[in-house]
Amino acid sequence: MNLEYLWQGFSVTLTAQNLLIGFVGCFIGTLVGALPAIGPINGIALLLPIAYTMGLPAESTMILLAAVYCGAEYGGRISSILLNVPGDAGAVMTAMDGYPLARQGRAGEALALSGLASFVGGMLGAIGLALFAPLLAGLAIGFGPAEYFVLMIFAFATLGSMVGSQPVKTLIGCTLGLMLATVGLDATSGAYRFTFNEPELGDGIEFVVLVIGLFSVSEAMLILEHEGRGVTVIRELGRMTARWTDIVKSTGASLRGSLIGFVVGVLPGTGASVSSAVSYTTEKRISDTEGTFGKGDVRGLAAPEAANNATACGAFVPMLTLGVPGSGTTAVMLGALMLYNIQPGPMLMVERPEIVGGLVASLFVGNFILLALNLPLVQIFARVLTVPNWLLVPGILVLSIVGVYSTHASVFSIFLMLGIGMVGWLMRKAGFDMAPIILGFVLGRVMEVNLRNALAISGGDPSILFGSTICVVLWILAAAVAVLPFYLSRRSRRRQQIAASTAS
Amino acid sequence: MEAVRAQAAGNGLRFSEMRENSMSDESHASPGASRMIGRGAALCLLALAITYGIGGSVIEYAFSSDPLGPRAFPVALATVLGLLAVWYFLSPGQAEGFPSGALLVRVLSVPVLLVVSVALFEPAGFAVSIFILTLGTALTFAAPPSKALAGAAGHAALWWFVFSYLLEVHLPVGALFGG
Repeated sequence: MNLEYLWQGFSVTLTAQNLLIGFVGCFIGTLVGALPAIGPINGIALLLPIAYTMGLPAESTMILLAAVYCGAEYGGRISSILLNVPGDAGAVMTAMDGYPLARQGRAGEALALSGLASFVGGMLGAIGLALFAPLLAGLAIGFGPAEYFVLMIFAFATLGSMVGSQPVKTLIGCTLGLMLATVGLDATSGAYRFTFNEPELGDGIEFVVLVIGLFSVSEAMLILEHEGRGVTVIRELGRMTARWTDIVKSTGASLRGSLIGFVVGVLPGTGASVSSAVSYTTEKRISDTEGTFGKGDVRGLAAPEAANNATACGAFVPMLTLGVPGSGTTAVMLGALMLYNIQPGPMLMVERPEIVGGLVASLFVGNFILLALNLPLVQIFARVLTVPNWLLVPGILVLSIVGVYSTHASVFSIFLMLGIGMVGWLMRKAGFDMAPIILGFVLGRVMEVNLRNALAISGGDPSILFGSTICVVLWILAAAVAVLPFYLSRRSRRRQQIAASTAS
Repeated sequence: MEAVRAQAAGNGLRFSEMRENSMSDESHASPGASRMIGRGAALCLLALAITYGIGGSVIEYAFSSDPLGPRAFPVALATVLGLLAVWYFLSPGQAEGFPSGALLVRVLSVPVLLVVSVALFEPAGFAVSIFILTLGTALTFAAPPSKALAGAAGHAALWWFVFSYLLEVHLPVGALFGG
C-alpha cells in the first residue's frame, strides 16, 4: 500500500504555520461544539470566507476546517453531559448516559472519559482513513462519466434512506440543491439559465452565500424561537479524571463504537447522528445485561462518543477519493475545495497529494491537540456556556454579513443570502433538514456534467449508464439502499402486529 | 461552575441540525397543523416544479456540444420535484410548526433588522449598520438596554478592527465618515 502521500502530508502539517492553524481550529471547533447554538456546519460556514480572505493556501484551509470539524465532535459532548442539550447532532446519544452520570455528581469523570473515547474514535478513524482512502481512490480511477453519474444517484439513494425519518423531505432537499446548482452560465452551450437577467447570477449562486444563508441566518431565528426552554442544571462537576476501572470497562465499547462510526461515516450522505445512534443501540444490545444503560453506564457514554469522532474521519473517505461528501459538514468542505478551483475526486490524491495527505496527517496531530485541550481545559470550555445569546447571536449575524461581503464585495450577495436564510427557516419549520440541499448543490454541476459527458461519448445512447459492471453494481446498490428501509420497517411493523395479537 | 451552568440554562439551547434525532417531541406541531403545513409546502413545491420546468424548457441557446443540451437536466429535475411534491402532499409527515403572537413578531424582527442593516451597509458604513443590527438583535433577545448598547458598540468596534486591520477586508466607511 502506497502511503507516500501521508508522509508528504506530515511534512505539510508539521510546519509552524499549519500547526498553529490546526491548534486554532481545534480550539474554535471545541468552542463551536460546546455551544448548543452553533454546530460544526455553522462554524465551518462562518470560518470559510475568513480563511479564503486571509489568503491561506488550500491545504491550510482544509487543515483549519478539518480541525474545526473534529474539535466540534469533541466539544459537542460538553453541553450533552452538563446540560442534557447536545452541542451538535453527533452528541445526541452522549447525553443518554452522560447526563445521568453528571446528575450522580460524576460530571467531571464523564467529561474525562468521553474525551478519551473521542480520542480513541478519532485516532482509529484517522488510521482507517489513511489506509482506506488510497484503496478507494485506486478503484475510483477507473470511473468514467457514466460511473460518476450513477455513483451520485447511489449517494442520493443512501441519503434518502438513511437520513431522517421522512425520506421524501431529504430527497426534496437534494433536488432543490441540484436545481440551485443549475443557476448561471451553462459552460457547454453558453446559455444563461435562471439568472433573470441579473448579471451577478451569471456565475451561479455562490457557495458561501448559500451555506451561510441556510445555516447561520435561519439558525439565528431558531435560536430566538427556542430561547428559554428549561433544562435541568447540573450543580457539581466532581473529580475531573476518569477512574481506571471505568476506562477498562469502556474500552470494548470505544473500539466497537469506533469501528461502527468509521463504517457509517464512509457511506455517502450519512453522518455522526446516524453512527452514534447505531453504536449506542448496538452497545446496549451487547453489554446492557443489567439494565444500566440510560442510567449512567460508562459504556453507553463511550460508544457514541468514539463513534461520532470516527465518523468525522470516515466521512472524509468518500469526499477525498470520490468527490462525494460523507456528511453535511464534508459537503461544505467539498464546497471549500471548489472555492479554490480544486476538483475533488480520485485524481486529487495524484495531483494534489499535499492537500489529501495534509488533511489526513492533520487529523492525527489534531487528535493529540484535542486530547490535550479537552482533558485539562474542559472547565474553561464549559465556561463558554455562559455567553448569553444576546451577545452571541449578533456576532453570528455580523460574521455572516461580513463573510459574504468579504468574499464577493457585493450587497446583492448579502441580500441573496438573507432571502435564502428566510426560505431555510421556513423549510426548517416544515421539518426539512438543510444538509441535503448543500449536498445536492455541491454535487449538482458535477452530476450534470458527467451525465452530459457520458451521453456525448455514447452519441446520446442512455444504455451507457448501464454499460459497465461498476455501473450495474452501483444501480443495484442504489436500488437496495432505497428499498431496504421500507422493507425492514414493514417487516418490523408486521412483527409488532403479530406480537400484539399473540399477547392479546 | 454553578453560575456557569445556570447562565447556560438561560440561553437558547438550540438543538442544532438534529431534527431527525430529536429526543423529544415538544417542538413538533400537532398532527392537524403538521398536515396543513406539509400540504401547503407541497403545493408551493409543486408550483416551483412547474415554473422551473417551464423555465427550463425554454432556455435559449445557439448550439450544444452534447446531445442533451442545457434544457434536459432542469426539466428532469422539475419532473422529479413534481413527483416528490405529490408524494409529500399525500404523506406530509411531521412539521415543527410556526411560532405565533409576540414570539412570531420577535422572530421576524431578525430578518427585518438584517434587511435594514444591509440596506445601510454601503451608504451609512459598516460601523453604523452593524451597530444598528447588533443593538436591535440584542434587544430582541431581551438584553437589558444598557448592556445591549455596550454590546453593540463592542461588536461594531471589534469586528471593524478584526476585518479592516487584521484581515484587511475593504469594508464600506459610509458617507457620514467621508467614504
